[in-house]
Amino acid sequence: MNPATFEKGMVFFLTILTLLVSSLLLIILATVFAKGLPALHSGFLIEASENFGREGGIIYQLMGTLILMTGAVLISLPVALGSVIYQTQYLKSETGKEICRQFAQMLNATPTILFGLVGYLFFGVYLETGVSWVTGSLILAVMILPTLQVSIREAIEALPDQYKDAGMALGLSPWSQIKTIIIPQCYYGIITGVFLGLARAAGETAAIMFAATTFSGIHLPESFSDPVPTLQTHMLVLTQEAANPEALAQAWSAGLVLLSLVFFLTVMAWILRSRLKMEAEL
Amino acid sequence: MENESHGIMWVFAGLNLIFLCCAGGLFLFLIFESYPIFKLHGFDFWLGQDWWVGEAYGALPMLYGSTLVTALACLLVLPLALAVAIFISEFLTPTSRRCVKAILELLAGVPGIVYGLLGVSFLSLWIKDVFGLLDGNTLATASCLLAIMILPTVLTLSEDAMRSVPAEYRDNALGLGLSKWQTATAVVLPQALPGIMGAVLLGIGRAMGETIAVMLVVGSLDRIPDPWFNIFSSAQTIPSKLGREAAEAIGEGTHWSALMALGLTLFIMVLLINFIGNRFLKRRSIS
Repeated sequence: MNPATFEKGMVFFLTILTLLVSSLLLIILATVFAKGLPALHSGFLIEASENFGREGGIIYQLMGTLILMTGAVLISLPVALGSVIYQTQYLKSETGKEICRQFAQMLNATPTILFGLVGYLFFGVYLETGVSWVTGSLILAVMILPTLQVSIREAIEALPDQYKDAGMALGLSPWSQIKTIIIPQCYYGIITGVFLGLARAAGETAAIMFAATTFSGIHLPESFSDPVPTLQTHMLVLTQEAANPEALAQAWSAGLVLLSLVFFLTVMAWILRSRLKMEAEL
Repeated sequence: MENESHGIMWVFAGLNLIFLCCAGGLFLFLIFESYPIFKLHGFDFWLGQDWWVGEAYGALPMLYGSTLVTALACLLVLPLALAVAIFISEFLTPTSRRCVKAILELLAGVPGIVYGLLGVSFLSLWIKDVFGLLDGNTLATASCLLAIMILPTVLTLSEDAMRSVPAEYRDNALGLGLSKWQTATAVVLPQALPGIMGAVLLGIGRAMGETIAVMLVVGSLDRIPDPWFNIFSSAQTIPSKLGREAAEAIGEGTHWSALMALGLTLFIMVLLINFIGNRFLKRRSIS
C-alpha cells in the first residue's frame, strides 16, 4: 500500500476512535437518563422514598449526600489550607517539603475502601462516634484532603513573586502577608479546591457504605450519632436487587441525580479555575 | 508582635501535623490491626488458598484475582489510550483538544457506583450472552469495566506526556521530510515513553483500589479460577472482599484482623505502583 494512503487510513481510524471515546460521556448520560425515566416524576426530588426505595422520591438520600460532603469540606478545608500555608510559607527544609509531598501522594493513592475501614475503626470505635454522619464526614474529609491541597498549592505557587517581594519590602510579618496577600489573592484556588473536593466526596461510596450510612429507617439525622441515607448507598442496595425493574429504575434515576450533582460541581470548579488563570495573566 | 507571629506559625504547623498524622496513621493503623493474623499464620496468610471465616484465612485467591483483573484491564486500555492520545496530542487543533480533555475530566469524575450499575445492567449480560456463560459476573466483566473506568486517567496523562515533548523535535522531524504520522510514531512516541509508563502505572494503581464497581460484577467467589487462566469464571479481588465482608466483621476478632491484613497488602501494592509511576512522571518533567 502507498504510505500516504496508509497514513490517511490510520488518521481516519484514530479520528473514529477519538470520537467514540468522547461520545462515551454522552452514552453514559443518555443511558442513565433513559433507564431512570420510568421512575422520574415531578416530585422525585422532593418526595421521600417508599416501599424500600421502589417508589417515591429521594429527598432524604439527597440531603444525606449533601450533609456528608458539606461536613467533609468544612472539616478538611482548615487543615488543607493550614498545611499548605505551612509548607509553602514557613517550612524551609527541602527534606521536610519532600516528606509532605510524598505523604500527600500516598494519601491521594490510597484505595478509598481503606479510608472506610481504618476511619470507621479510628473515628467510630476509638473516638466513639459510631456509625454516624459525623464518622462519614470525618472519613471523607481525610479522603479529599489531597484534592483540596493540590488546588490551594497551585494557586499559591502561581502567585507572582512581586507580590511577596512587595509584602516583604513593606516589612510585613509572615502572618500579615498570609492575611493580606496570600489568602485574598488565592481565594479562587481555595474555592476551586472546595468544589473539586465536594465532587469527589459526592461520588464516593466505598468509604462510607458501612461507616456512615443506612438504607432505610432514618430520614434526617436528629443527633450526632445518627447515620444518614445517601444516594450512593441507596443505589448500591437497589442495584443488588437486579431482578426487580422498579428498584432498578429508582437506582438509575438516583444515579442521574448523583451524576448531575458531580458534573455541576466539576463545571463550577472549571469556571472558577479559568477565572483564576485570567487574573494571573493580567 | 513577635510572639503573636510565632504562635500563629505553630497553628499552621499543627494543622500540617494533623495532615501528616492522617497519612502516616493510616499505614501504622493497618499494620497494627493486621498484626494478630500474621502472628497466627505468618506469611502463609499470603499463600493459603482457603478462606473459611473462623477457621482458615488465605489471601491467595484475592491476591490473584486483583492482579489478574488489573493486568487485563491494563492490556485492554493500553492500545486504545495510546492511539487516542497520539491523535489528541498530534493531530487535533487546540480548541478541540481542550474540548476532548474537558470531556475526559468529566468522565474521570463519574462515580464508581454509576459504572457498577452500568456493569450489572449491560456488561455482565452482554458477556453472558456473547460467550454463552451461565453467569455474567466474571473476571473478564470486571476487567472490561475497570478498563473503561481508568481510560480517562491513562489517556489524559499519556497525552500530557506527549505534549511535553519539546516542539523542536517535531519541527526537526518535519524539516527532515518526515510526514506528520511518522513524526508522531517515530519521534514523539519514543520520547514520551517514560511519561506513558507513569500514566499507565497510575491507572493501574487506581484500578487496583476500585471497590464498588468491581464488587458488583466480579462474582465474589473466593477461589482461584480453574484452570488458572480461565477469565470467564467468577473470582474475588481484595477490595471486593473487603467491601463484602467488612460490615459483618467490623471492629474485632481474627476475621477483622485478616481483612485488615488484606487491606495492608492492597495498600502496599498500590503504594509501590504509584511510587514507581510518579518516578516515571517526574523524570519526564526534569529532562
